[in-house]
Amino acid sequence: MLQASGGCTCHTDVEGGGAPLAGGRPMQTPFGVWYTTNITPDRETGIGAWSDADFLRAMREGRAPDGSAYFPTFPYTSFTGMTDDDLLALKAYLFSLPPERKENRPPDAWPPFSWRISAWAWQLAFFRPERFEPDPAKSASWNRGAYLSTAVAHCGECHTPRNLAGALDRSRWMAGSEDGPEGELAPNITPHDDTGIGRWTTTDLVWFLQTASKPDGDDSTGLMKEVIEEGYTHVPAADLEAIAEYFESLPPIENQLMADDDAEDDGEDEDAP
Amino acid sequence: MRTSSIWKAALAGAALLHVAATAHAQGEAKVDEGALKYRQSLMEAVGGDMAALTNILKYGLTVPGAAQVHAEGLASHAKLTTVAFERKVTAGPTDAEPAIWEKPDEFAQSVQKFEAETAKLVDVAKNGDLAALGAQVKATGKSCGSCHDSFRKPKEESFKRKGGGS
Ligand code: HEC
Ligand code: HEC
Repeated sequence: MLQASGGCTCHTDVEGGGAPLAGGRPMQTPFGVWYTTNITPDRETGIGAWSDADFLRAMREGRAPDGSAYFPTFPYTSFTGMTDDDLLALKAYLFSLPPERKENRPPDAWPPFSWRISAWAWQLAFFRPERFEPDPAKSASWNRGAYLSTAVAHCGECHTPRNLAGALDRSRWMAGSEDGPEGELAPNITPHDDTGIGRWTTTDLVWFLQTASKPDGDDSTGLMKEVIEEGYTHVPAADLEAIAEYFESLPPIENQLMADDDAEDDGEDEDAP
Repeated sequence: MRTSSIWKAALAGAALLHVAATAHAQGEAKVDEGALKYRQSLMEAVGGDMAALTNILKYGLTVPGAAQVHAEGLASHAKLTTVAFERKVTAGPTDAEPAIWEKPDEFAQSVQKFEAETAKLVDVAKNGDLAALGAQVKATGKSCGSCHDSFRKPKEESFKRKGGGS
């Protein structure tokens, strides 16, 4: 069962040995390396006291049993699309492992997440409790790319502008947002030649998601650099190619993003001699 | 009479001074503009060499000697960074943060890191191993990024997105 779940929506390498499950070690998953919490069935330091409902909630919604937002050291994003049966089979597997007593690493010892990406920003970037519906008319790799881009990597959370209600504006899907998370400008990444990334090759986009290095030699900054370094760079190349295939299939949207004026004012204040 | 000619002389002197000051100011403005344009073209050159190196890596190109040429380009450009940013110019179409001149020691450290990584890059490029080159290009990219993080304005403040940019 674990093998099957590994092969379906999320080939998380949970079987990477018993020890990593005790937490504290970087845990390799398709979407990044987590410094895991202890998920062995130890009752005090692990998840041994969790009910099935606790487990499902942690996996699906990224919530700890006490209801607090889970810091993203737990690979819940990968599991959100899985069925209850699959998740409970995974729980059964975890509970069959020898319990290991090991305190979780305190948050300040969880670089890099604790540095700048707050739990909510990370959840925003990587996680949304909804299921992805594949399009049978498209290829398997396109569907994989669409799934990864929308349900897992959440490119759109940053790169799609929001309407007045704060919801993503689907008519301008991936056309860029001047006021993305933390006020960062997230560029237009539709395949529009002049205002988007229409001139990028598949190789360019895959390389960018691996290295944060752009085709013009410039580096990426801010949140994008972080999501690459903490996440996308660990995604297998075939999956990144699927993401690129999905992006190339999007309708090109002309949208030249402009810097906001408040920022300019801040700059000018500092410029005063 | 005498007082009025003194007045005239004084006025003429003042006018001259004014002209000189204006000329000086115009001269200064031009020096500023030149300094700004120069450091930006230096950065573009550096970006060009990085782009060439990443294309070599991305596509596994085997253009003889190319990696070394671009690595050497980066290393010699890196050595110009200090002088290129010597003059404080914070107004106009620029993404340079005033912190460059307010925290000169930190800026100097960023430059040193850049010089050190590009010097290493030259050594690595000479021995022709693409995997090692990839790792060192990455390390070099980090040295660009860490300076940009502290000393270059982010996208949402960039002059290039203000419409009136160069
Ligand atoms: C947490 C927010 C966030 C997420 C999630 C995110 N991005 Fe970004 N992205 C940004 C920001 C901010 C920038 C601007 C910084 C930069 O260009 O260096 C950016 C820049 C880019 C660029 C460079 C565009 C250009 O014109 O230079 C590309 C390409 C890109 N992102 C693709 C993606 C893809 C593909 C995904 C999903 C796999 C994604 N991004 C997910 C925030 C995000
Ligand atoms: C010591 C600091 C520093 C280092 C190191 C550095 N940069 Fe820059 N870079 C800057 C600053 C500051 C600017 C903004 C200059 C301005 O607009 O006046 C800039 C601007 C740029 C630009 C935009 C130029 C333009 O105006 O068109 C590019 C491209 C660039 N850098 C690439 C790189 C690359 C690639 C590297 C590494 C190989 C690098 N930089 C290393 C400080 C640095």
